[in-house]
Amino acid sequence: MRARSLFPLAMALATAVWLLLPRPARAFGEAGAFDPRVLLTGSQTGPARATAPARWSWELVQRTSAPARLRPSVVRADEPAIVDAPFLYWSGDSEVAPLTSAEVSGLRRFFALGGVLLVDDAAPGDRGEASAFGRSARREIARVLVDSTPVPIGPDHVVFRTFYLLRRAEGRIEGPPTLEAIVRGGQAQVIFSEHDLGGALARSASGMWERPVIPGGDFQRERAIRLAVNIAMYVLCSNYKDDQVHAPFLMRRRALSGP
Amino acid sequence: MLSTHLGPSGDLAPWAVWLAVALAAASLGFLFVEMRRRERAGALIAGTGLLAVAALLAAVLRPARVSARESVVGARVVVLADASRSMALEQDDGRRWQARDRAIAAIARSAPNVRLSVLGFGSGPPAPLPLSPDGDAGELTTRAPHSALGAAIRALSSSAEERPAAVVVVSDGRLDDPPEDASDATLEALGAALHVPIDAIATTRDAPADASVRRVSAAGAAVAHVPLPLTVDVGCAGGLACDEIAVTARELRDDGPPTLLASGVAHVKDGKASLDLTITLERAGARIVEVAIAPVSGDRIPENDRRLVTFDVARERVRVLHVAGRPTNDVRALRQWLKSDASVDVVAFFILRTQADDVRASQNELALIPFPVDELFSEHLPSFDAIVLQDFDAQPYGLEKYLPNLERYVRGGGGLVMVGGQNSFVAGGYAGTPLAAVLPVDLDGSAGATSADTSPFVPEWTTEGRTAPLLAPLRDAIGDDLPQMPGANVLGELRPGAVALWSHPSRTTKSGRKMPVLAIGEEGDGRTVALGVDGAWVLEFSSLGSRTAGRGHGALWDGLLGWLMRDPRFEPAQVEIAGGCTAGLPSTLRVRTLPVEATSGDQKLVLDITRIDEKAPPVHVETSRPADASSLELPLPALPAGGYVARLRVPGGATTRYDFACEAGGDEWADSRPDIARLERLARASGGSFVLAPDAANLPLPKPTVVSAERHVTPLAPPWMWTLAATALLGVHWVARRRSGLA
Repeated sequence: MRARSLFPLAMALATAVWLLLPRPARAFGEAGAFDPRVLLTGSQTGPARATAPARWSWELVQRTSAPARLRPSVVRADEPAIVDAPFLYWSGDSEVAPLTSAEVSGLRRFFALGGVLLVDDAAPGDRGEASAFGRSARREIARVLVDSTPVPIGPDHVVFRTFYLLRRAEGRIEGPPTLEAIVRGGQAQVIFSEHDLGGALARSASGMWERPVIPGGDFQRERAIRLAVNIAMYVLCSNYKDDQVHAPFLMRRRALSGP
Repeated sequence: MLSTHLGPSGDLAPWAVWLAVALAAASLGFLFVEMRRRERAGALIAGTGLLAVAALLAAVLRPARVSARESVVGARVVVLADASRSMALEQDDGRRWQARDRAIAAIARSAPNVRLSVLGFGSGPPAPLPLSPDGDAGELTTRAPHSALGAAIRALSSSAEERPAAVVVVSDGRLDDPPEDASDATLEALGAALHVPIDAIATTRDAPADASVRRVSAAGAAVAHVPLPLTVDVGCAGGLACDEIAVTARELRDDGPPTLLASGVAHVKDGKASLDLTITLERAGARIVEVAIAPVSGDRIPENDRRLVTFDVARERVRVLHVAGRPTNDVRALRQWLKSDASVDVVAFFILRTQADDVRASQNELALIPFPVDELFSEHLPSFDAIVLQDFDAQPYGLEKYLPNLERYVRGGGGLVMVGGQNSFVAGGYAGTPLAAVLPVDLDGSAGATSADTSPFVPEWTTEGRTAPLLAPLRDAIGDDLPQMPGANVLGELRPGAVALWSHPSRTTKSGRKMPVLAIGEEGDGRTVALGVDGAWVLEFSSLGSRTAGRGHGALWDGLLGWLMRDPRFEPAQVEIAGGCTAGLPSTLRVRTLPVEATSGDQKLVLDITRIDEKAPPVHVETSRPADASSLELPLPALPAGGYVARLRVPGGATTRYDFACEAGGDEWADSRPDIARLERLARASGGSFVLAPDAANLPLPKPTVVSAERHVTPLAPPWMWTLAATALLGVHWVARRRSGLA
């Protein structure tokens, strides 16, 4: 009886204390959060895996301190807003139409500011062969960034250790062990994935994964999510994990976790 | 007055007169030799010969009566009197300047016909010197911080005034120019510049009993965090017993007692010693290092036992500690800017995971390392030039206990930037902490305080922000339009001395003023910046950023970090002591400020000078700067010897700091021994004479010149008469010689 009578008082006291604490501003800073902005070109109306960007943000928020937009934005390559944030996510499963001059111009302005683009092939072959989207996307990026050639990036690249220590790239399909990237000014500005990363992230409203991950199942999906987290961290922290202060720790960890 | 005397005919050259006289004398000589062998009629021959020679000489000289109005003009003699600080040193018979003035007075008495010009030499061209051997003019005539005799002689030689017939130098011989090791050829060249002999008078030959730091020289420029070798020359003269002397080098700091940088023992041999010390200065900018020797018994000049050396410490690279509470676009933008600058050495720590995050991996699968808060904010703290706390909450990571260290770091000369975000300022738990005491804005630590305003807004430029040099690059890049920010941290009133550069358009502080969004301030020796937004990255990624190629973000941080590091480009004013500061004498502070708009009217400048090494009442000066003046000079009162900080506040800008030292004697007192050998060599090389001051009256000086204003010449007889007389007397002499059997 006595405990029951004290309960309202305790609640009132707790409420008062809560009210007196400095108010965190949860919305403050959202503009600077990671936004896996979907890039649309030509006749594209959305990403190949519609739920993947939001899931990407959700996983990032759950696993790291990085803020992310749970409702990612969408931008067309010829819109002025293309330069409003430093990241773009371009995915597809069919050939993209040649970019218009306005789209080329928009992407060039984006890259000139140092933006990062992930090109995610949603329909690669089982061995990671580029689909029509992958081939056409590379063709169009070559028009945007003339004289820039993609190079493979593997576990030695900072993308593979920005948060998780990863040994290879994986997505919905295992694909090649490396990603490819166009490196400009020391920064990987365009990252090509032939692993359908969005396919591993896509999750339906019912909470079920939309696509099976082959051949590794849930373990491979987890590694794909980790790669997505690392790419987001690369966007936010660039080459932070290349700093000398991290080197001895990371080398020791790599040695401990075995080949 | 007209004077009359005899003289030769005016058409004869002086050499012709002398030749005629010489020939006449020779003739008489031959006649004398000849007569010594003669026994008969010698007197007759000698008499007629003498008359004949005299007549012949008169025929050549043709004597005339000269009536002239003449005056005697004394030779111009320039006395170059040493007016340097070393003349204020004591010697046995008073101070050196008194001996100097007595010697000059003696010259004036001994040669009344000489026109003396007494000029004092020190720095630059010589200037007239008032003399007062027994009066009180000593302070006025011993102010020069240098003793550049060479410069004074060269200035005389190039002067359009009457060239002197002689130059007399009165000095103790301890000169800057010519230096101690000047060659004879150098000294000869100095005399040849005037084409007159240089006489020298030494005020004394005896060295006082004195131990001193004679010279401090550094091997190269001072760079922050880099060891700097110093060579300290110690001297011991005047019979002092000093075999070993302890030497210390300390940095004078206004945030506490002097810091010992190095120490050693100098082993004195033949009255001198050289000691190598290595010091490391951690902070860039002007730093004052005191190099001192331990007191020696019997030392008559204790003032020169310490030297105050001002080092302009440069940065090889700016070391920045960048700590971010979470990775965001703002963190990304700042990191990329810091990494893009080759002159910036960045040590970064970002909190990538909190305790609440579920990483779903073992520790070995993560590329995360512990945040070394203990190491960073204790032992490594002094090694950083600036610290950026970006969206960082002090509480979860144990930073709270190191906030006093951070406060001391700032007061000791460090730079600090707090960048906004949901974990910054009030939300980060900094209100009421020691760190808050050095931020440029107050933080509300009361219960229920609002930490952020999440309404988007466009910051406004304040009046100060529009004219602040540190934001000039940003204004050049983007103009007046600032981009919209997603929200702001709630900041309080400006702290005393702080300046708001951006303000919130609608939100106000408790006093009703517009809330600062970007503010700068100074505490102790350090500087701090409060940037109450986390949206500076939109200067790079936005339509504005695209229009300006993203230069706005870099320009903002270039100014902020540059101002923290006291980059002269971003200072509201440039300050320097004109001609140095000598203890006990008034000095002048020269101020150069940025141009102001003519319509803004006169500006009030406020100058505060505080002493670093000891407590002393500050000097406060306020003055108006005309709108059309780009520089002005502020007279300072006489200051005691020590290290000082001058803080100049210019309206519309933050404070400009200038560190300087005032020494009792400076270089002039560092070596108190007179150097008469140098004066002797100078006199010898130029053909002059050398004497000691008591013998100044014996110095040979040029004779005066006689000038005729009116002259009348009247021949005593016409030339034919002189010729006739000479012919007749020669004839008589010839007859006399024939009669006595001579040819």
